[in-house]
Amino acid sequence: MSKKELTVGFVGNPNCGKTTLFNAYTGANLKVANWPGVTVEKKEGAMRFHDDTFRLVDLPGTYSLTSYTMEETVTRQYILSDEVDVIVDVADASALERNLYLTLQLIELGKPVVLALNMMDIVQERGMEIDLHRLPEMLGIPCVPVSARKKTGLEILIHAVAHHKDKVLGEKLIHHHEEEEKESHHKDVEEHHKMYAMVYSDDVEDKIDEISELLKKNYLKVDNLRWHAIKIMENDVEIRKAYPLDWDSILERDYEKEIINQKFSFIEEIMAECVVNRSRKAESTDRIDRVLTHPVWGLPVFLLIIAFVFFLTFTVGDWIKGYFEIGLDNLTAMVRTGMEAIHTNSLLVSLVADGIFAGVGGILTFLPNIFILFLALAILEDSGYMARVAYVMDGIMGKIGLSGRAFLPMILGFGCTVPAVMASRVLENPKDRLKTILVTPFMSCSARLPIYVLFSEMFFGDMAMVAAFSMYVLGLVVAILAAFIMKMIDKSKNSNMLLIELPEYKTPNAHTIWVYVWEKVKDYLTKAGTTIFLASMIMWFVMNLGPQGFTTNMDQSFGALIGKTLVPVFAPLGLGYWQIVLALIAGIAQKEVVVSSCSVLFGIGNVTGASGMSGLASVLESMGFGVVNAYALMVFCLLYVPCLATLATVKRETRSWKWTGVMVCMQLLVAWVMAFLVFQIGSAVF
Amino acid sequence: MKLNEGAKGSRLKVLHMDLPVQTERRLEVLGMLEGTVISVVNRKKKGAMIIKIRGTRFAVGEQITKNIEVEPV
Repeated sequence: MSKKELTVGFVGNPNCGKTTLFNAYTGANLKVANWPGVTVEKKEGAMRFHDDTFRLVDLPGTYSLTSYTMEETVTRQYILSDEVDVIVDVADASALERNLYLTLQLIELGKPVVLALNMMDIVQERGMEIDLHRLPEMLGIPCVPVSARKKTGLEILIHAVAHHKDKVLGEKLIHHHEEEEKESHHKDVEEHHKMYAMVYSDDVEDKIDEISELLKKNYLKVDNLRWHAIKIMENDVEIRKAYPLDWDSILERDYEKEIINQKFSFIEEIMAECVVNRSRKAESTDRIDRVLTHPVWGLPVFLLIIAFVFFLTFTVGDWIKGYFEIGLDNLTAMVRTGMEAIHTNSLLVSLVADGIFAGVGGILTFLPNIFILFLALAILEDSGYMARVAYVMDGIMGKIGLSGRAFLPMILGFGCTVPAVMASRVLENPKDRLKTILVTPFMSCSARLPIYVLFSEMFFGDMAMVAAFSMYVLGLVVAILAAFIMKMIDKSKNSNMLLIELPEYKTPNAHTIWVYVWEKVKDYLTKAGTTIFLASMIMWFVMNLGPQGFTTNMDQSFGALIGKTLVPVFAPLGLGYWQIVLALIAGIAQKEVVVSSCSVLFGIGNVTGASGMSGLASVLESMGFGVVNAYALMVFCLLYVPCLATLATVKRETRSWKWTGVMVCMQLLVAWVMAFLVFQIGSAVF
Repeated sequence: MKLNEGAKGSRLKVLHMDLPVQTERRLEVLGMLEGTVISVVNRKKKGAMIIKIRGTRFAVGEQITKNIEVEPV
């Protein structure tokens, strides 16, 4: 057998454990990119089976193959392309009835399909039984029981894929519908039942034949006529556009509802024949939901959970961070002595130690905080709680004119604004999407965390954690207020159409979480190695170069000149110090840069360490920068323009420079006003 | 009666949906068809609900539940 590459597409409903299964094959060894032209995530991995290389592609989770959402369109186009050899349809076997709808649609596509019955461990736990002999007979495709979590059946599944790849459309099926066949008047009914798993009622079948004929006559080369005919009858915009005829008058009416109905009738038939004991559902999810989605307690419980997440992020994170700082101190000292020992130019030593190590290293010490935050978000997501938040928050979100679902991108904004803005794609209504995108950057992302930690620990002592946590609350409040004001301006009717699946609760899967967190940590490290590295170097040059060339007096540098011209704008906020202004400007590249710039600007190596902090604090205090100034700075950092990566994402998602511009102006204004209020009121009180 | 009047724990049969076609189709592909029996798992005062369709829980907003005609089973 010659070596060849087989492309396997993983398709399935959301929450069917598809990603866990995919990860079980590929490990963390993924290529993550976007689908060409759209910002839907594309994951790819490879594995070897005997002599063959399998290229595995994880397609977006979807309930059906219509083209209502971007995810569905992407999935369908990719499956239809020549690239995919075999489809693995991943189904949650414990909720088979709902999952089979997509299965029937996939079978109709005419490509080789293998059904992976995932979560078989849960099926057994609940005392359910699935007739693994009858099910493949009725569907006409191989059905392999697997458990992605327990890693059982994986070998058999990939074996089935390898052997099913050459399945030809129309190969005879062995399944019996004798009653139906006797009653039917359709001329080819016997043939149909041998060829297709899903056979419709006579009048639908007649229409399918009629449309197929028309397609064949008008468009010579159409693969899988039956599927195209069905799609045209379902009023599928894309297929109708690809094969234009006067379909409305040919069809007389819309068959979509009938087709869906008949598919579910067949699914009910399958369930009756193949699944035993399905009424015995797990009670545990209902018990947990009694508390977590309680009409009154749901909201306080959610707030407690979020508070706990941040408590962990700050306390445990800071504790580990201490060790990172000691390591960084030692490393910087070693490098400095090492470089001085070999008589390196003192400017170069300064660039490396005061520029790169102070900037990049300072950011790296926050890795434990970031790690814990993303770990917590991953656990909330994987356990099944995240979807409940949409329900819990639906009432409040409804008041500001958004669906509870819009709250999910906002929560993700606590992690990173870029994926959060992209997650707004789950909202169908374009207006809701735009609003959500505009307010999401107010949610305090993890890049702002270093700023809070640094300034709150320098100025707030025991209250540091409260001060930092207040930023998250403030960000949330401002986001909600902003959405409310937009609703007032917009005056459109509330089209709150919340519809979201609430998966069964489960113990989070360590592997899935590891893959997720590692991806984020890698991102963070890459950022530290690229943007922050560059920004730290630029900052060092701006600080050490002046109109007269290299200068040791920072007051004469270009940086000071730039900062000083903008000082009047920031003075009313208590931020009228050219170093701070410069750090804020640099922070537009990335918020962490505010911290790394402070290290460089004030010439303090390892600014996040205890000695560095007290050093910076005393420098700032000698300049008259106190508690109120620090809080105003934190507020300003929370609310002002997000990082360049976010701006680029907003531009791409809204496809509009206008709205990106509106967002920037709105945020600068809000940040300035809020910091102004904090400083003026704070100064009057304290 | 309308779905949003359904009590927690009740089992209801869907009679008719008066929703935008797209929303209706989305519900249909999830298995909520005319004639399907669903159950109300949890509800809020205004009519946002957690319902169970063919063994799967969904959260649905009041704008949807108040436009679905049901009858008790």
